[in-house]
Formats: sequence, structure tokens, C-alpha cells
Amino acid sequence: MDYAIETEALTCRYGRKCAVDQLTMHVPVGSIYALLGPNGAGKTTTLKTLMNLRPPAIGTARVLGVDSRSLGPADLARIGYVSENQRIPSNLTIGEVEAFCRPWYPTWDAALATELRDRFGLDPRARIKALSRGTRLKVQCLLALAPRPRLLILDEPFSGLDPVVRDDLTTGVLSLADRDGWSVLLTSHEMDDVERLADHVGFLNDGRLVVEEPMAALLGRFRRVEVALADGAAVPAQRPSSWLGFAVEGRAVRYVESQAGPAAEAAWHAAFPGATIEASRMSLREVFVALTRSTAPAAVPGRSR
Amino acid sequence: MLPFSIALRPGEPVVDQVVYAVTRAVVSGQLRSGDRFPSVRTLSQELKVNPNTAQRIVALLVEAGLLAVEPGIGTVVTKHPQAGGSSAAASRRADLAALPDRLAEPLVVEARRLGLGLADLVDIVRARWKALDTSR
Repeated sequence: MDYAIETEALTCRYGRKCAVDQLTMHVPVGSIYALLGPNGAGKTTTLKTLMNLRPPAIGTARVLGVDSRSLGPADLARIGYVSENQRIPSNLTIGEVEAFCRPWYPTWDAALATELRDRFGLDPRARIKALSRGTRLKVQCLLALAPRPRLLILDEPFSGLDPVVRDDLTTGVLSLADRDGWSVLLTSHEMDDVERLADHVGFLNDGRLVVEEPMAALLGRFRRVEVALADGAAVPAQRPSSWLGFAVEGRAVRYVESQAGPAAEAAWHAAFPGATIEASRMSLREVFVALTRSTAPAAVPGRSR
Repeated sequence: MLPFSIALRPGEPVVDQVVYAVTRAVVSGQLRSGDRFPSVRTLSQELKVNPNTAQRIVALLVEAGLLAVEPGIGTVVTKHPQAGGSSAAASRRADLAALPDRLAEPLVVEARRLGLGLADLVDIVRARWKALDTSR
């Protein structure tokens, strides 16, 4: 098995609304895979379907080699899932919740649980209902990590958390990393965190996967291009489809090159003879914005279903 | 805590940034020969970077001759970062050949754009050279 998760034409509907549309994605074993996309793109629905919390309308998903619809307790014991949709009994204390979960996981690592509890600064006597959102997420992470799962599925683990808590959670997740064949699938809008953490990226927009590639390849092919036009020079009417967000202001031309390389560079100079052209690398945050704008349903003509 | 200074910026490859930070630390004496270098696991957790990225950083630094793997100890800073093995010597020759184009030329272009003279530029370089020594 080379993939921790693979889906084929996975389609999910809420009534007539198609939330996930023929999604074919591959999460390699040993990778940290970030599923990115604007709000409402279908990320959470995808993760819920992978966890067999809702059935797909069409298509299949295999998680750790098992069809998502047949995931049983033994399979789920090897998967850690953190989502804000999850409920923890609010009348219990942290210690009681831990004691409740522990017997379900043959691989529960008590020493790791203690280490994480200390790192996260959790008091086992504290009641769940008295906890802040951030602390509750820490408890969820503790419960997901302590069994040393082979696969972690994290739905927006960092959203709305302060930088210290985010750092703590990230360190907790990475503390599992020295296990062979350990994989992570996460969704997040914290682009700076994701840029360092993930080595694979999937980009969903309006239920469709528009990009799936290694992080280094994605960041390697995007450039922000700034052109200062030569005197009297015109802007070409025909432009390569790899240019995104093309804008002109006086003599300044700006766009995003999505296929950077020697051929693209030659095309820039051919399009703007005599101009000064500067290209700079982009952060994942900037790539995210460019991808979101250029793949929005309104930006792609003739797309309907 | 990591034994070298670094503040990661988004938009630049993490590997390049860390390799540069470690090189700087070795050159300035913040890291000295024989010092233990953090494990891949520690590097990953401290920098909050992907473990595969941390692995590549260590591999590149070993290849560059700045780090060496000592059996039973781990990764340590090498005695003579300039010398190293034959592959390190070859990569040093390549780096040396690239120096005028890759680093010196942008510096000269920027200095001319700002209207600086050669002496001004040399003064700036001399000051940075000393600053690196005093940061030990």
C-alpha cells in the first residue's frame, strides 16, 4: 500500500447540492498532506466521508487500504481524528475522558499521554465543560495522538487558536513522526504553518480538486511577476493561460505565473520587449489567493452541473 | 532550543533558509567544530517543519561538509568546514565559481543603482565581515 488515503471520483451531496465533486486524491504514506481551499470548498465533507461519518453518493475512498464504508472499530483504532464537530462528554473531567477512551485502543501509549498532558498544560481534574475552545482542542489532540495512530486526520486543528497553542499542537503532532509509515491529512487556513508542515498539497475549490502535488513543486512553479513597460509599449491582447490575475496600472503590469521555468521566462520577455521584468517567489498564502481567485466557479466559463 | 539563530519567513524554501542559518552560525563561530547538531526529530519539532524537510536539511549540510555523522554520537559540526572530503572540496570549488555571478553581481548592481562608489561598497562589506566576527 503506497497511499494512506486514496479516493476515486468521490462525490458527496447534501440534497441537490454537490459538496464534493468527483474527487480523486492520493495521500502518500509518510506524508503530511494539506487539503486546502476556501470556505465551503468541501474539505470538511471530504474528511467526514473518509471517516465514514457520512456515505459517499458516488465513488469510493480507501483509508489505510480499507473501503471507507467498511471501516470498523479495529480500523478506526489506527486513525486519529480531530474535528470541532466532535463532541466530548462535557460533564466528565479530562482524566475521566482519557480513562474512557483508553480501553478502545490496543496501542494506547500511557507515557505519551502523560508527556502530551504536561506539554499541553492540561489538568486531569478539570471538567470538559469548563474548558476554553483551545484547551478543548488540546484534549482532542491528546486523545487522537496517545494511541500512536498510523493516520491522523485533522480538520482545522489550528483555527482561532493563539500562536502558543498552535505551536504546542504542532509539536505534539510532530512528536509522532519518527514512526515509519505514519501519515497526516489536515485542513487549515493557517497558511504559514501549513507551508512549513505539509509536504503535499491538495487544493479544493467548489468541490473539485484543482491541484494536487508536492509542496516544493507547487511553490516552485508560482512567481509574482512585475513588469515595467518600455516607453510606448502595448500590453499583448493574447496571453498564456498560465498567467493569473493579470492587471495593468499605467506602465506597471502585474500577474502571477503559474508555470515558472525557462520557457515561461522566455514568454515574458517575448510578450514585453524592452521591459524591466522582476519575478519573485510566493508564499503559500499568496499561492492560495491566486488559486482561489483563478479557479472560482465564476472564473471558469462553461462550468455547470 | 536550537544551537543556531533562525526566524523562518514564508515564501522562501525552508531548506535554503535553514542551511543558510547553519552556515552563518558555523562561519560566525556560534556553532563550533565538535558541537552536537540537533537530531532530525528535534529539528522538525523546534522549527515546526515537516520531518522529511528536516531530514533533507541534515543531508545537505553533511554533503556540504559542515556536519558529519559520528557513529554512536549523532550529527556533529565538522572540524574543518573548508576542507572536508573530496566531494566537499568539489562543491566548494563550484560555490567559489558561482560567487561572482550569484552574490557579488547583485551587490554591485544594487550599489550602482544607489549611486555608491566602490570604496563605499567595500566599507559596507568590511563592516559586515567584522560584525560576523563580533557576534561570536
